[in-house]
Amino acid sequence: MIAPEYVAILDPFTKEAQEIARASPPFESMPQEIAEQAIDRVQWKSSKEMLVDSSAGAVKAEILSFYMMCQGIAAVSYPYSREVRLVTNATKETIRYRMYDLFKRGHEDFCLDVVKRSFKLMRLEHGDKIKLGSVEIPRDDYFKLRDRQLADAGIKEKEIDDRVLPQYVPKYAMRWSDLVLLLRHRRAELAKLYIVNGWAVMTPHELWNFFADFVAVKTEEYIASIYERFSDTGTPTRLLQIGEKIAALVPPEAELRERFMRVPRGRLRPEFFPPCAKKAFGGVGAGARNYAITVLLTSFLSYARVSPPPAATRMADIIKDISIVRDEIAPPISEAAERCNPPFFKDQPQEKASVFYHMGFGMTTEPTLADSGRSKWYRVPNCSKIQVAAPLLCEPDEFCRSREIKNPLTYYYKRFGEQARMGVGE
Amino acid sequence: MREATPEERKRFYTEEWSKHELPDFILHTLSLREFGFDYGEGPSHRYNQFMTVEQLADFLRNKAPYGAYASVALYEQPSMRKGWLKSELVFDVDAKDLPLKSCGCSGGVVCEKCLDEARRIAAMFAETLRSDLDLRNIYFVYSGRGFHIRATDDAVMTMEQTERTQLVEYVTGGVIPTDVTMALGYSRVFRERIAQTFERLSKERLLEIHGMRKALAQQLIEEKEKVVTAMRRGWLNEIQNFEGMGEKTFQLLLEFLTRLNAELTDGKVTIDTKRILRLPSSLHSGVSMKCILVRDIERFSIENAIPKFAREGIK
Repeated sequence: MIAPEYVAILDPFTKEAQEIARASPPFESMPQEIAEQAIDRVQWKSSKEMLVDSSAGAVKAEILSFYMMCQGIAAVSYPYSREVRLVTNATKETIRYRMYDLFKRGHEDFCLDVVKRSFKLMRLEHGDKIKLGSVEIPRDDYFKLRDRQLADAGIKEKEIDDRVLPQYVPKYAMRWSDLVLLLRHRRAELAKLYIVNGWAVMTPHELWNFFADFVAVKTEEYIASIYERFSDTGTPTRLLQIGEKIAALVPPEAELRERFMRVPRGRLRPEFFPPCAKKAFGGVGAGARNYAITVLLTSFLSYARVSPPPAATRMADIIKDISIVRDEIAPPISEAAERCNPPFFKDQPQEKASVFYHMGFGMTTEPTLADSGRSKWYRVPNCSKIQVAAPLLCEPDEFCRSREIKNPLTYYYKRFGEQARMGVGE
Repeated sequence: MREATPEERKRFYTEEWSKHELPDFILHTLSLREFGFDYGEGPSHRYNQFMTVEQLADFLRNKAPYGAYASVALYEQPSMRKGWLKSELVFDVDAKDLPLKSCGCSGGVVCEKCLDEARRIAAMFAETLRSDLDLRNIYFVYSGRGFHIRATDDAVMTMEQTERTQLVEYVTGGVIPTDVTMALGYSRVFRERIAQTFERLSKERLLEIHGMRKALAQQLIEEKEKVVTAMRRGWLNEIQNFEGMGEKTFQLLLEFLTRLNAELTDGKVTIDTKRILRLPSSLHSGVSMKCILVRDIERFSIENAIPKFAREGIK
């Protein structure tokens, strides 16, 4: 008999898991073993490490270390970074293995109950005919689906036995429209699903994969929300320490690959700018110029280009070449200022220095790296602040709403991250 | 098909237009939609909201616009295009833009035959939406030059661009499947689409494929029925067995057909969740036709879309 709270080890976002997290002490006073588990879990390789025994203490440690890992990485990195992907990939592997293990030990129904909390699921009927509700699945298709799965998994004929085969035989069907989050993040492709009457037929192996991907996407979104919170409220020291230890585990080859692929840190991509930044970029009228250019656009472009962790306070700690500021960040700000009505810098030339002041270089128009830290590097204001200070700038689009964006920078990271998954990297 | 005069527009909206011709799916969400109008320079007058159908009726009678449009999206504040709630899933099959026209009309021109072709494609897309994806609330609208398919099922209305892009690929047969031989699922959709596309293909178009030899193109066209049957049944090796058909040429042929499939609809319309579409019941002044809800796509008759003033002109 499995305890009800055990569902949390498959989905750390269930109410049972959140209940455990809520009832626990703050991270600052949590036992060292939990902190160590939060770091270790991103490099779990063996099954023994990934599995959780059914005791209440083990489940609690599992959940707390999961949340500590997420919050730690949110403290030192930014949404959709390579560090975040390290965490989400590790989470996916862990969940997938746990599903496999529970199935193997005869707890299929328990797993399906967890899956059913997020997806409509049904079993295929295997009688004289293979049926999905009232529709008969042709036997040829059934076997082709099985063979495709085996081939995709790289399983050779001689490796197929009674233990392997059942994992790759079509057994369930899920509503295709419930897979929307996975389609959105390109973790599923509609044309690769076998859909009949609105149901996508799948094998246990696919079910584990989809569910693990689902938890990984939710983890990614959770980290983004924590990043927003820390940007606003500051980062607890202990989480910083944990995050730094996790970040140090990113394999160097992944770092190199990612730098040229998905990481926002690099050339600015205006197509991913949020509506408010686009509006500021297009120039605004006299009333909103100051806020749009020196507060919003300056902070947004500098943070988007440099992508610092939430705890960073000086640009010189992140960049080693001032040309990034002079040649990449400052020119679009000047262009936007020129587009204002009346042109901002022509009207108020002293505001040019104010731009660099807001980036932390003090009042100057010729910043050097040594100037970094002379003033405060202003953070990107939250949406709620923009709505009050310059309501005309805030015209949320569909992406703002659906992702519940609270800060323009998160919008940029999320759009960038989602687009990168579609193969549109730099 | 000719342009309506300002007087004819006025007459249409005062004497003929009726709120009863607005489909329920628009009527019931009227106040949540953004309306756009064209006064002869394109639908640039946007950000309009009507709280009641009577307000809309008064507006149309007074302004008699060249074109009237409503958003596929529902908003909390349509007049500011703020507070997006959800959007219909739409496919736009425009007869003038079909990639292959058996009637010989040039691009941008519409004849009865290409309109019927657009109707057939719209029906085919809707069938896939129903049978594969189990969508139930699907409506057809004759737009004046083609057809709009509008799905209002909750399952698709909150979907975003990435998912809608994948839906376009699925419905049009715009991506080559992993296995083309399955009896059901996307494999079947793809086979049916490439077969239909090939059926309408000329030798000249086939020769657009890089490396396609004239003799092979000639043979494929001469044995079109055999090729089409093989495609429908998934016996693609029969096509590969044509003399001169190497693996590369075969792959290029499949890719060419896939590209043509993708052009059956304007994908930009489907993925744009803030699109405005011609308002069913309104007048398409460019061609003097009514944009109407089509209750039975198989029995669509253009007669129902001819406004009175144009009918009198015919007499």
